[in-house]
Amino acid sequence: MPRYYFHLRHRPGPEGLAVDEDGDDLPDLDAARLHALAVARDTIARTRTDIVRDWFVCAFEITDEAGRHLLTVPFSDTVPDEVP
Amino acid sequence: MSQPSQAEIRNRLLRVLPKCDFALLAPHLQAMPTELRQVLITPQEPVRYLYFPESGFASITTQGSSGRVEIGLVGREGLVGASPLLLGADRTPFAHFIQGAGEVLCIDRAAFCAAVDESASLRRLLLRYVQIQLIQTAQTAFVNATYSLEVRLARWLLMCQDRTDGDELAITHEFLSLMLGAQRSSTTLAVQALEGYRLIRARRGRITVLDREALEAAADDGYGVPEAEYARLIEGA
Repeated sequence: MPRYYFHLRHRPGPEGLAVDEDGDDLPDLDAARLHALAVARDTIARTRTDIVRDWFVCAFEITDEAGRHLLTVPFSDTVPDEVP
Repeated sequence: MSQPSQAEIRNRLLRVLPKCDFALLAPHLQAMPTELRQVLITPQEPVRYLYFPESGFASITTQGSSGRVEIGLVGREGLVGASPLLLGADRTPFAHFIQGAGEVLCIDRAAFCAAVDESASLRRLLLRYVQIQLIQTAQTAFVNATYSLEVRLARWLLMCQDRTDGDELAITHEFLSLMLGAQRSSTTLAVQALEGYRLIRARRGRITVLDREALEAAADDGYGVPEAEYARLIEGA
């Protein structure tokens, strides 16, 4: 199984990225996206930190083992789009 | 095997025992090295041995469907297995395993129970330690309900350092996340915040406490209550 790294982007610039050094083994990028959404939901629901005031401006930047950027998953994707 | 002499013991409970109480336990104490992740007590299985940590520390954790969370920490100030056996239970729902490798003095359950049955003062001292464990657990509930992840991290690092020699703690982010009951990415954020305040320095698998006093200030009311009770009840401060 490939390993995906979920870096947490909380503001622009190198200071604004919490780097994931461990990664998680998941079957494919679809599974990685679902994992990112599940972690984001749990984080929004339970986590208070001094650094992030608004979780909805955050995103997971998913990379592979070579450090190549694969996908960005905004925390706002945890909320379904409103149907007009 | 030679018996440990009380003067060379590092476990704080054993150190404060009157000579006669120490003599009840000493013939049954077996030194044993511990390694990371070693299980000392398995949930819902009869407790066969108790462990006085000499160095390193053990975590008490609860396992739920959403993962495992730490509910207690036992190092050289304590005794792993004290609560169930002293309170009349033969087992516990919680896992007890090594989070910081070191050494423990191991004692057989029957020998331990015979010693506390024989000496009221030994039982009283160890029950006071159980009281401190209750306070520590209550404090964890308070801190988890009240404070930000940074405060909780500061508290936990102080508790770890209390059970370690020196400023350097061997801890991975994965372990920290378990301790704090947080996602790994949130834990990384909290570590970065404390680094930003120059309280700690984090390298892969290792955290160095740079400014203990400032770390205590950052932990606010989260740290100190069980520690003060320990000093008062156990060490008579």
